[in-house]
Amino acid sequence: MTRRVYVTGMGAVSSLGFGREAFWQALCEGRSGASTLSLFDTADLGRSRACEVRDFRPRDHMTAAEARRTGRCSGFAVAATRMAVEDSGLDPSGLESDRISVILGTTMGEVDVISDLESAWLHQGEHAVDQRLLPRYGTALLPIHVARAVGARGLLQTLPAACAAGNYAIGFATDHIRAGRADVVITGAAEIIAKVQFAGFVRLGAVAPERVQPFDKNRKGLLLGEGAGIVVLESEEHAVRRGAPVLAEVGGYGLACDAHHITRPHPEGDGSLKAMRSALVTSGIEPGDVDFVNAHGTGTHANDLVESKVIHEMFGGRRVPVSSIKSMLGHCMGAASALEAISCVETLRTGLFPPTTGYEEPDPECNVELVANQPREGKADVVLNNSLAFGGYDAVLCLARPGVLPPPREPQ
Amino acid sequence: MKTLSITGLGVVSPIGVGREAFGAALADPEQARARAFRGPSAVLDQEAFADARVAEVRDFDPKQYLGSKGLRNFDRMTCMLIVAAKHALEDAGIKQDGKYAALVPERVGIISATAYGSLDSITEVNRVTELEHPRYLNPSRFPNTVINSAAGYVGIWEDLQAPNVTVVNGNCGALDSVLTAETHLNQLRADAFLVGGVEVLSEPLYLACSKLGIAGSGDSPCQPGAMYSRGTHLGEGSALLCVEPSDHAEERGAHVLAQIAGFGASFEPPVSEAQLVHASADAVASAARTALRDAGLSPVDIDLVVSAESGISRSDAAEAEGLARVFGGRVATVAPKALWGETFGAAGALSLCAAVCWLRGAGPLPLLRGESPRLLRHVLVTTMGYYGTASAVVLRRGPNELDRR
Repeated sequence: MTRRVYVTGMGAVSSLGFGREAFWQALCEGRSGASTLSLFDTADLGRSRACEVRDFRPRDHMTAAEARRTGRCSGFAVAATRMAVEDSGLDPSGLESDRISVILGTTMGEVDVISDLESAWLHQGEHAVDQRLLPRYGTALLPIHVARAVGARGLLQTLPAACAAGNYAIGFATDHIRAGRADVVITGAAEIIAKVQFAGFVRLGAVAPERVQPFDKNRKGLLLGEGAGIVVLESEEHAVRRGAPVLAEVGGYGLACDAHHITRPHPEGDGSLKAMRSALVTSGIEPGDVDFVNAHGTGTHANDLVESKVIHEMFGGRRVPVSSIKSMLGHCMGAASALEAISCVETLRTGLFPPTTGYEEPDPECNVELVANQPREGKADVVLNNSLAFGGYDAVLCLARPGVLPPPREPQ
Repeated sequence: MKTLSITGLGVVSPIGVGREAFGAALADPEQARARAFRGPSAVLDQEAFADARVAEVRDFDPKQYLGSKGLRNFDRMTCMLIVAAKHALEDAGIKQDGKYAALVPERVGIISATAYGSLDSITEVNRVTELEHPRYLNPSRFPNTVINSAAGYVGIWEDLQAPNVTVVNGNCGALDSVLTAETHLNQLRADAFLVGGVEVLSEPLYLACSKLGIAGSGDSPCQPGAMYSRGTHLGEGSALLCVEPSDHAEERGAHVLAQIAGFGASFEPPVSEAQLVHASADAVASAARTALRDAGLSPVDIDLVVSAESGISRSDAAEAEGLARVFGGRVATVAPKALWGETFGAAGALSLCAAVCWLRGAGPLPLLRGESPRLLRHVLVTTMGYYGTASAVVLRRGPNELDRR
């Protein structure tokens, strides 16, 4: 349980572009992925902007057979997986397939499939339900399609941990390797925007009319986003043996449950603080070692307020740079922390913190050292990736440049 | 695997609610089965689904177990999971009359599986959005559409602050939750987990299964082992087992019902790229062998297999073949879906609960194959997915339990 775990490849499907390079470049340029939704009719909903993935052509990333049997969410996951595997130089055919696992996060998986099926049922009746679509519904399918794309035969699991799913998956994948049950895990998360979640978030009053402005005094809520972030994780010995490109090390992660309310965070951020502290303790480091925090930063009043308090409490008076790329990417729900983990790795590699765009007026209640509007250079050896979700699901992941973290210890 | 102890059970099932009622029902499997399938459905519309034959948790009134306050926004899935959690915690002695009596909130968590989540809640949101207007959506019920909401509500209701995880792996999820719990326990993130799963009946689920030809109706033979079985009958339920590291359980003087000794999971894709649905004998055999190896056992050490055979002929044949490759076709096998139907994400958990009861002497065994073993010390529980996955768990008789049978 003391093996180091490395990130050796990354792939992204997002409203800001495909592939880690395009994704990172867009973040550094402060581009926005927001547009008027084209996926469904928003006329009745009062809100119409989101960070939709545009120009995704399944046949660019998948075989004809794969494209026919996958839903849109699995399609994102498979595409990002292929990018990540290519990035890693891994040749899956040369590996023991039962030592490769796939562990993915999502919130609602292939939700458009169920929406389409039910739409037909509700409007036209039972006979209109296309039964060929029925087997395509099922959150369990995400890792199935990915496993088939890479030849993985080990544990396949989906962790639907709401908006913390990406960190949940990457964290559990790390545990799985550390326990010696896998050498390679394809992990991360995928999410699509469908009318059911969009309508729900709108009715919760959480969706901004135009743009998302995390930590800003006049923030009006979040914008939903979609996409997939996939990373290849390998045990140290496996990576070293094949001369893999090591992009970052995964340290520890902290999981906590507020057990407070199904949508509102604990007002003092108890669970979030526990999760952040636990991420450090399990990585063998102190708060003083953290160079950057990738905030959950959704742009809602409640989240940004509580998260600011937690960050302040965590680091005492120290002004640790904080940024929320949800300002550009929107809130990709289950995929958020996976895409944000990719951004964190790029920060570690380049020493650049991506900006929080749209920041115009500081909120005295959100007293954090925000990387506002422009990217910033800085020391980037250790970063934390926050995800603080509905239901009080808090997961914080620690990522570091290779060689910086102390050797992993047995849990204490 | 470092041995884990099962110190409590909470079960909400079509044959009974609570460990005692569930175990007592197993003593007369025929009657249990009849009871599970008898009576009008509270979930499916009587006229539209007149032919349906389903195993339901009949007359389930959550107020009976949880009181009348605070339930307004809970859907059926959430209520069933909370009741199972409450029962498991009391059964394990972790709570007494709703208060922590052993351990603390920060050290107790839940790992729960489901395959489809609250399809009824998702359907309700779709219905209002499509046929009425989104302004009529009740925002308090929106969280129910998110697959991990039930476990989230359990965490709030029972004050569980250690990791709260929902696992989705189709029909294999509940057994996979065992591995997830073991992983977190080994990382010292908790002292105990409630482990299991929940699945509820709903009209969209029944409609989908009947369109796919897997949900049998009326009197057509739909059960494991039936000649020309025409599919399965749908069921529902929730089951949570309280799982702790064995040394911890011993230290706090917990009553150990049984132990978990090994876990295995496997995936075998179909040969054809175009094919999606795939029942794999290879995956079953591989998962079983991995679980045995993990437990340090050989096939001859297994006295009973609790399989996932459900009445869907192709799946059942694949599972039987997979097991035959490992055990030679002679091991005593029970297929409890005959009693409570296909419960998807809850299936593995209900099987584990039944296996614990059988290890403790509930009987007779409703055998599908083989002869009743003289001694029951090790049980292998299997699950099989629709797309090529399989999982398996090895249970061992509790250390203070007498030799049974």
